[in-house]
This record gives sequence, structure tokens and C-alpha cells, in this order.
Amino acid sequence: MDTRDWALVIFTICAQMAVGSFIILGVVHFFVERKSGLQEADRMSDRALLAIGPVLVLGTLASFLHLGSPINGWRAISNIDSSWLSREILFNVLFMGAGAVFAVMQWRKLSTATIRNAIAVVAALIGVVLVVSMSQVYMIRTVPAWDTVATVLSFFTTTFLLGAMAMGTAYAANYTYMQRKSEPGCGPEGAQCDLLRYALRGLAVASIVLVGVTFVIMPLYMGYLSNDSAATQQSADIIVNDYGVVLGLRLALVFLGAVLLGGFIYRTASDPTRERWMINLAYTAFALVLISEVLGRFLFYASQITSGLG
Amino acid sequence: MAKQLAFYYDQSVCTGCKACQVACKDDNDLSSGIIWRRVVEINGGDWIKQGATWGQNIFTYHLSLSCNHCEEGICLEVCPTGAMHKREDGVVLIDEDKCIGCRYCEWACPYEAPQYNDDKGKMSKCDFCYNYIDEGLPPACVAACPMRALDFGELSELQAKYGLVDNIYPMPDPSLTKPAIVITPHADAALAGAEGVSIGNVEEI
Repeated sequence: MDTRDWALVIFTICAQMAVGSFIILGVVHFFVERKSGLQEADRMSDRALLAIGPVLVLGTLASFLHLGSPINGWRAISNIDSSWLSREILFNVLFMGAGAVFAVMQWRKLSTATIRNAIAVVAALIGVVLVVSMSQVYMIRTVPAWDTVATVLSFFTTTFLLGAMAMGTAYAANYTYMQRKSEPGCGPEGAQCDLLRYALRGLAVASIVLVGVTFVIMPLYMGYLSNDSAATQQSADIIVNDYGVVLGLRLALVFLGAVLLGGFIYRTASDPTRERWMINLAYTAFALVLISEVLGRFLFYASQITSGLG
Repeated sequence: MAKQLAFYYDQSVCTGCKACQVACKDDNDLSSGIIWRRVVEINGGDWIKQGATWGQNIFTYHLSLSCNHCEEGICLEVCPTGAMHKREDGVVLIDEDKCIGCRYCEWACPYEAPQYNDDKGKMSKCDFCYNYIDEGLPPACVAACPMRALDFGELSELQAKYGLVDNIYPMPDPSLTKPAIVITPHADAALAGAEGVSIGNVEEI
């Protein structure tokens, strides 16, 4: 892998995490609003929303670093007609724009909640299209290791897994902040305390399911690589023989972070006396899963083999 | 039908001398690591038992390849800026003013034709020596070949004259990009599908 491809690891991970976080934030907001009303839901979401923008901006800036001529970077949007790379950049810009409009309206409480929700739904849909176009960038017919449905599936599992983990962390951080400011609802039996437990339980379950999906895709994908063609066999060889340790570490960390710690988070979230445990576990789980996803994405780029002489 | 310039390569007479590769490098002043036309050496064969004795059926053939200026070039499709474009005569060129050096064409091309120029931060590739073509002269590689193994011309005319072979190991499935190339195969090239064939000069190409 070219060193410059690390910029793409950062870009794709950050953009997918941002899309996933935005969608998870919306879904959690929907459920906590039904549970405790709009005001409490907004108290929980508004600061967590703050975390998404910088991640997306960081990823977008990183994407420029992989260009040989970054000053010319704006031109990347010129071939919408046939290039998925152009479309990816377009949807990245649109997602950023729609997300920013929503965020500003949400913080300033502009317009009505219904209209804000409608804008959030539009932004989330653009985010989904962004992740689809990201996968299309790699699903090119001359790179058989990438040109499979596994690319879309793994991009979306990364999106939602990192989204769930990042938002779990953001809620926990927001809750800790509110506690320190002695805001109401953060003590035992308080509404915010209740919502945090409720959200983390849901996110823990979602994460465990998503890791399950990853563990189903992985062996099927490796089977495909070993059997399809000379090019895919070369890719399999790189993953297993050159980077077997990285693959092992990637799978171990995602299992440890999302399944094992996810299980502990679920249990501690059911026990009000173990609040610190729950929060620290949420941070640790996010760190482990993030490292795992970065390693997985590294393997994705490292195993790029073009058919023929490529 | 649209005009499409193409290379013709008589693999059956090629000696693998690399005069084409060197002429290209010299004429286009290519920096170290960039080779727009390169010569692949393919080796195969094994020991075989014939009655009571052991013999061998080893063979080597060469494959001189540049950009094939494909009819359905995937580089043209994936390039996000439109820097990669086709001239009216079918020659695929890079507009350096537009290229951002994202290297997406490098990933996509199954002939490794677009190559990254680190000094400029842009992609580079065989331009069919269009400056010579426009003056009615042959490209540098064609002019340099001592065996007259290389030629160029209108794809349909070359096909009518020499046939339709455009796929010799290790070239990819031609349906991927429809390469504008016509090859008269080396006698041993048909063996390339067999076991044990490998590229002998991986470090050179």
C-alpha cells in the first residue's frame, strides 16, 4: 500500500463514522423523545451532534492529502457523468452542507421541530447515498477483490458500528459534562441518567448484531477471494500471508470491543450503581472498535490487486 | 465507425531487446520508475519424462505493451476530473492542467498504463507520440524496433490484416476495456494457459 493511501483510510473511516453517527443520533433521538419528551431528548442529543461535524471535516481534509496536486482538488467534482469518485465527492459536500444546516437550526432551535426533523431525514438519506457511492468507487470491474457486494456490506457495517460506538461515547461524555455542571436529571433515577442507560443498552445490542454480520461476511469473502481468479487469489495471499497478524488483530479487537464489552455495557447499564463502569466501558469499546476498523480498512487498500498487469 | 488508432505487435518475431522501451523512455524523457512502454518476459515449462529419459519443454516469450488506448478505457470512466480524455483519432491523453494526481486510473487500468509522476504530482501515460503522428511520423517505439515487430494504424484495418488477437497472458480479459491492439502471437504463447507460467522480470515492469 502506498503511504498516501492512509489518507483514504482516514477519509473513508471518518466520513462513514459521521454518516453512521448522524443516523444513529436521529434514531436514538426518536426513541428517547417518545420516552421522555422533546426537551430531555434535545438535552441529550444537542452536544452529541457537535461531535459529528469535526469528524467529517477532518476526513474531508485528509482526502486532499492523498492527491498529488491538492490545489487542483476542487476539479474532482467535474466528471459526475461517469465517475463514482466525482459522485462521492459531490455527496460528501451535500451531506456536509445538509448536516450543517440541520445542526445550526437544531442548536438555535430555528423553525419547528417537524421541519428540523425533515431536514435531518434528508441529510441522513444523502449520507446513505454517500456511503453507497463510496462503495461504488471501489467496485470497479478491473479490481475483482473490491468488485463484490462485500464492499457495500462492509462499508455499511462500519458506518453503523462506528456510528453506534461514537454516539455511545458522545452521550456518555455529554452526561458526564452535565453531571459536572450539576444539571438536573443526572442523579440516580434522573431522566438523563435513565436515557443514557436506555440508549447504551440499545447501542450495545445493535453493535453485537453488526459484529455478527461482519463475522458472517468475512469467511464468505475470503472464500470468494481464494476461488475467483488469479487477481483475487493474490489479494487473499496478501491478507492472509502478509498481514495475517493484522487480520487477526482486527477481528479480535472488534470482538473484544463490540461483543465482549458490549455485553458488559448492557449489564452495567441495567445496574444504576455501576454508572462509572458503564461510561468507561463505552469509551474503551469505542477505542477498540475504531482501531479494529482502521486496521480492516488498511487491509482493504493493501489487498488491492488489478486484473491483468495492474 | 469512429476512428481508433491502434498498435500492432508481432510477438512471433520479438526478441525482447527492449529497444522500444528505451526509445520511448528517451524520447519522452521519462524519469526513473516511469515506463510507458515495457517488455514483459514470460517463462514456462517443466521437466518431462520421455520414455527412459528426462527432457524439458521450457519456453520464453516477450510481450511489449504500452497504453492500448482502449475503446472502452476504464481510466476514462473513473477519472474524476475529465483529465483523461480521448482525441478524435482514439488516442487517450491526460490533460495535466486538470489532473489532480488521485491515482484512481492507476488502480483501475488492467494494463498499468497510467503511471504516477511524483515530481509533478500528476499521472502520466503513453500519448502515442501524437506529436509525431500529427506530422505523419511513426511513434518512437515503432521506429526503434530492429525486428519491425511494432507497427501502428487504424484498428479495423490492422484487424483485417492481422486478425483479432488482443489477449496474451498476462493481459486481462479484453472485454473489460476493449484494448485497441492487434497481436500476432508467439508460437509458445498458447501454452500460457498451462501450469507454471510466470513473469520472469517482475522487477522491471
